[in-house]
Amino acid sequence: MGVTEGQGATDAMFFREGLVDAPARGDAPAIPLTGDASLDKHTRVALLREEREIARRFEGGKMWIYPAFAFTCYAIWLSFFPLAIMGWLNLPLAFVLSTVFAVGGYVTSHEAMHSNIGRPGSKTRWLNEWTGKVSTIIIVFPFSMARLMHLEHHYHCNHPEKDPDYPDRANGPWHAIYKTWLNRQPGIDGSIHIYKRILAEMGTKEAADSLKDTIRLQLIFLAVLFAMAWSGYAIEAALIWWLPRHIGLSYIRFYLSWAPHHPREERGRYTNTRLFKSRLGHIGSIGMETHFVHHLYPAIPSHRTKEAYYALRPVLEKRGVHCPEI
Amino acid sequence: MQKAVQTLFKIMPLLFGIGFIAPLIAQTMIYWGWEPPLGLSPIGFGLLVGGPWGLYATLRGRWV
Repeated sequence: MGVTEGQGATDAMFFREGLVDAPARGDAPAIPLTGDASLDKHTRVALLREEREIARRFEGGKMWIYPAFAFTCYAIWLSFFPLAIMGWLNLPLAFVLSTVFAVGGYVTSHEAMHSNIGRPGSKTRWLNEWTGKVSTIIIVFPFSMARLMHLEHHYHCNHPEKDPDYPDRANGPWHAIYKTWLNRQPGIDGSIHIYKRILAEMGTKEAADSLKDTIRLQLIFLAVLFAMAWSGYAIEAALIWWLPRHIGLSYIRFYLSWAPHHPREERGRYTNTRLFKSRLGHIGSIGMETHFVHHLYPAIPSHRTKEAYYALRPVLEKRGVHCPEI
Repeated sequence: MQKAVQTLFKIMPLLFGIGFIAPLIAQTMIYWGWEPPLGLSPIGFGLLVGGPWGLYATLRGRWV
């Protein structure tokens, strides 16, 4: 399940953005830097090479933990429904677990979005796809849509119109929490409306299918809630699915979108994401303190970005990247 | 079909108010032993709150 082809995908992303010289382009524009502008092109290319060599050591690893977590949590969460109806469920505990599963599910699906569990054409590709699919059911965000939007976020990070996560831009943490709620309101030009616009612009079959998947999953979610509520299980439905979904989405939006990209003003390879120290620690912030490393090398899985950060730190500092203690 | 789905999602907050919030209010009241005002049944009270709240969200585009 190890990942070996990740560098290719990473490079393709850089070249698409024009952030890194493609080898065949000869005198293509130099790598944009915000750090030490006195570095000449050769130094920058040498640093990038060194950076890539270090990063490659952290790609892949124990990737089985992601499908194992995803399928186990999904099975436990599904069991909550019959158990609740039979009256055999500790509802407060189920509520806490469901919320953890909602947040954790995005982390596992995120690895699948980057094909880190199984590359296209590999033996583990099916596992990659199913891990992604089951992981985001609790948050009612189908994998097909989540993947498309997340990859667009990488391609156009912090672009006001092209980055699907741009609506999460906020002035500070409290404003960011408020925005996570506001952007889910039905009439606000928030996340889903931006997604729909971006999908329409893409105009591909994949985009149309992901919108259909979203409609289907939302209708299933609402049908389950309505049916349970009118059968006398409204509190159970609220605590197992409705509230965990909303809390989970806010948590995900805050930590995966707002915190690492605040203040969303820069678009450069080394400036579109920030390194930060979270009050909830590395696990509490779902590994987002070193999300910067993920944007540089998406093939490095979430559980290894901190380790990779410390290995990359000397090279990044030479580039002028501010590298705090995390 | 597309038009029907669009209409359905347009009025979804109203449906959500009736379909989920109303029974949730009623069952929460029963669970905590709260008496509905004006001699209403719990589900009657739930519908009285959930219906207009959903309508408000449909018209205004936000729940609060």
